[in-house]
Amino acid sequence: MKVTIKGWTGVATWRWIANDDNCGICRMPFDASCPDCKIPGDDCPLVWGQCSHCFHIHCIMKWLHSQQTRHLCPMCRQEWKFKE
Amino acid sequence: MANIAALRIQREFKEVIRSEEVAKCAIKVELVNDSFTELKGEIAGPPDTPYEGGNFVLEIKVPETYPFNPPKVRFITKIWHPNISSVTGAICLDILKDQWAAAMTLRTVLLSLQALLSAAEPDDPQDAVVARQYKEHPEMFRQTAKHWTYVYAGGPAKMPDLDDKIRRLTDMGIEEHNARVALSSYNWDLERATEQLFS
Repeated sequence: MKVTIKGWTGVATWRWIANDDNCGICRMPFDASCPDCKIPGDDCPLVWGQCSHCFHIHCIMKWLHSQQTRHLCPMCRQEWKFKE
Repeated sequence: MANIAALRIQREFKEVIRSEEVAKCAIKVELVNDSFTELKGEIAGPPDTPYEGGNFVLEIKVPETYPFNPPKVRFITKIWHPNISSVTGAICLDILKDQWAAAMTLRTVLLSLQALLSAAEPDDPQDAVVARQYKEHPEMFRQTAKHWTYVYAGGPAKMPDLDDKIRRLTDMGIEEHNARVALSSYNWDLERATEQLFS
C-alpha cells in the first residue's frame, strides 16, 4: 500500500509555566490575558519576582505604581525585584 | 467601575461562596447592588471570645482602584472592641490601610477581621475608651463586650444585672443605647454614668 500525503495542518498549544494558575492581582487565569488586554500571549506576558511570585506584567506594574514608598510583592511583601 | 475591579470582585465573590468558611458559617458576603461596588459582609464571633455566638455585619465599599487600594470596611453591627469605634464602626487594622496588598481578597479581609476580634491591639486603638477599659479592667471589658454582643449581634449571654442598670437610666428618660454607652464607658458605675449624662 502506498500513502500519499497531500497536505497537513500543524497545530500547537502553548501555556505559561507558572507556579500558580491565576494571577494574584487580577485573579484571572495566567493562560488568559490581564483584564486590560484582549489576547493572551507575548503582548500580555508574565513576569517573575526574585521572591518567585509571578504576575501579569500589566498587573504588577500597576501595583508598583500605586505604591508610594516601598515596592513590595503583593503576595509575600518582600521587596519586589524583577528576576533577570 | 473600572473593569479590573468589577471583574475581580465577581471572581472573589464566587470564591467566598465556595470557601470552606462559608460552609462552616464563619463568613458570608452578599451583594448590595448590581455593580459590585458595595457588598455586605458578615462574620461570626470567634469561639472563646466575648463575641462568640454573635453575628457581625460589615459594610464593604470597593473603590474603583481595587485591588490596588484596599476595600473600605466598617462594622454596621455595634461592637465593643478596642480597635473598632463603638460610635461609627470604623476599624483600625493595618491591612485595611498601609499594609494592604493586591493579592489580598474579600475572604482574607473577613478572616483577618475575625482574627482581630480574637486578638485586640489595645496599644493601637480606634476607640480609646474601650482600649483603656481593656487594659485597666479586663473582666469589665469582657462583660461589656459580651453584653453588646447579646444586644446587637444576637449573642447568647443575657446579663440581668447590666440590663437593670440600663433600665434605671431609661426610666429617667435616657435613650437605651445612650444609657448603654454611658454605663459601658464608666465601667458600669451608675452614679458616674448618670452624672455624665446629665452634665
